[in-house]
Amino acid sequence: MKKTLLLISAIAFLFTSCDKDKAIVTDITINFNHTVNGSELMTNSMIYTNEAGENYDIQTLKYLISDITLHSENGSSLLLDEVHFIDISDESTFNLTYNEVPNNNYTSISFDMGLDTAKNISNKYVNDDFHTTMFWPEPNGGGYHYIKLEGAYNNDSTFYNTHTGGTMGADYSFNHVENISLTVDNDLGDVSVNINMEINNWYNSPNQIEFSSYGMGIMMNMMMQMNIQMNGITDVFSVTVDK
Amino acid sequence: MKSLIYLLLGAILIISCKKDLAPISGCTDNIAINYNPNAITEDQSCNYFSTTPYVIETPYGFPDMKIPSDNPMTVEGIALGEKLFKDPILSADNTQACINCHQQNFSFSDPNQFSTGIDNIQGNRNASALINLGWNTSFNWDGSSLTLEEQAFEPVTNSIEMHNTWMNVEQELNSHIDYPFLFKQAFNINYIDSNHIVKAIAQFERTLISTNSKLDRYLNNEEQLTISELNGYAIFNTEKGDCFHCHSTNMFMDNLFHNNGLDIEPFIDIGRAKVTSNPLDNGKFKTPTLRNVEMTAPYMHDGRFATLEEVVEHYDSGGKYSTTVDPLMKKLGVGLQLSNQEKKDLVAYLKTLTDNEFIGSD
Repeated sequence: MKKTLLLISAIAFLFTSCDKDKAIVTDITINFNHTVNGSELMTNSMIYTNEAGENYDIQTLKYLISDITLHSENGSSLLLDEVHFIDISDESTFNLTYNEVPNNNYTSISFDMGLDTAKNISNKYVNDDFHTTMFWPEPNGGGYHYIKLEGAYNNDSTFYNTHTGGTMGADYSFNHVENISLTVDNDLGDVSVNINMEINNWYNSPNQIEFSSYGMGIMMNMMMQMNIQMNGITDVFSVTVDK
Repeated sequence: MKSLIYLLLGAILIISCKKDLAPISGCTDNIAINYNPNAITEDQSCNYFSTTPYVIETPYGFPDMKIPSDNPMTVEGIALGEKLFKDPILSADNTQACINCHQQNFSFSDPNQFSTGIDNIQGNRNASALINLGWNTSFNWDGSSLTLEEQAFEPVTNSIEMHNTWMNVEQELNSHIDYPFLFKQAFNINYIDSNHIVKAIAQFERTLISTNSKLDRYLNNEEQLTISELNGYAIFNTEKGDCFHCHSTNMFMDNLFHNNGLDIEPFIDIGRAKVTSNPLDNGKFKTPTLRNVEMTAPYMHDGRFATLEEVVEHYDSGGKYSTTVDPLMKKLGVGLQLSNQEKKDLVAYLKTLTDNEFIGSD
């Protein structure tokens, strides 16, 4: 009798421990996608047209997304990454993964396009991969480029450089918040969050931007920086969640 | 009872056998200083040459240098590398050392457009200045080598450079009066092989660091720039001159490859595409650092420009169109439209990057 009891309790114990192992952890992968007029970006092809009627291609796209944060209904927040660098020529930069997201009801995700004043400091990210390629010189305000979007327009030998950053010390980074419905519990499993950049919308509304008005470059052109920032806030980014 | 006796006997046999097997104990590792060739059992007494670690201080605005884990910097390794760098023993006829084409007073570069090898044959690219190499992620104008160790293999056997064989180099060094001891000291090896030769050279090259220019002293509030130099500084660091996008950060380079509008197609030298086989890389070359640029004439991958003034003229012209020209060359066909004074200012600024201590004239 005693033996059977012991056996039963042992089996019971085994089962409980199995149950415990079954709690599924949730890893979140953030994917960065890029579209032009809704279609996936194709680099080095003169197939795009902005609202001003200029044909253009995209040869370079490098940008910084910072403070990627999940917010929960109880007011707590979870920082997924401080700064992430995306380079269209390097697929390994197209996503990042945050492992073992704590259980919670997450109701929104937010991130900054570029670096805010607290982070946009020369040499702050000296050991990061983007330090050299995103560097923004001191006489222009220091820190880093938020974005480098470059290519040809109208014909193959006229170029535009859409470079934004903390021009002359002014902060043109902006925050994007998107409501999501994401309940992380013991059963959910892994989740993908897709952040999409609609590239053509940098140039369309509310400010129609012509590459031909870039002149010698826009890094010291505060009006242009502001117009591009406004367009960015309006409709450049969108977020979807795949559970 | 009988079996007990057998067991005892057996035990004795084993013990005595063990004794016989170990008549001499000592250090059995042949790379140790006190290696005993007669020793059969290791008694943990081996002593080795101990190397002295060498620490590279990270200059302001530079990332930490990435040093390969299998080639840590040591005082002994660096000294050996410097000796090898300056020793013509590496060339087939013992007439040329690395330093012949990488001369210190020219910031370890060659003042000739093309260097001439031991067989009197010239190459077709300008010998690069060796400066702050440890922060580069690839080497040669087309980035064909990914480490300094890998790069050092190349000139020794290149038929238009030192035209040697590694077998020959190894033979000469192993029978040399000094080198076997120096390699033992630096790497604890008895036989000198090519891997350790390039390791020593790479260690020395990583110490060729220049960050004591007039500009560094200006940024450190120790020295003032002239009005002309300051104007050049502003032109360089804004889109007026637009030099900083490629010659970026305190390193004055971006570790990337660009077509800066030197030529129309077809290119005589396709550059980076030689390594990647990607037609989009045609005519692209690695951005060199501009530190000590005053000393590293002639300029560009093929040394086509003799002076800094010619280089500035090239960029002021806006450059020539080709299908792979960098979109950063955004004044193509228009030009920078710098005034004569602005061009002079830019050159004056570039000369503030000279580090006299580094080139050994201070």
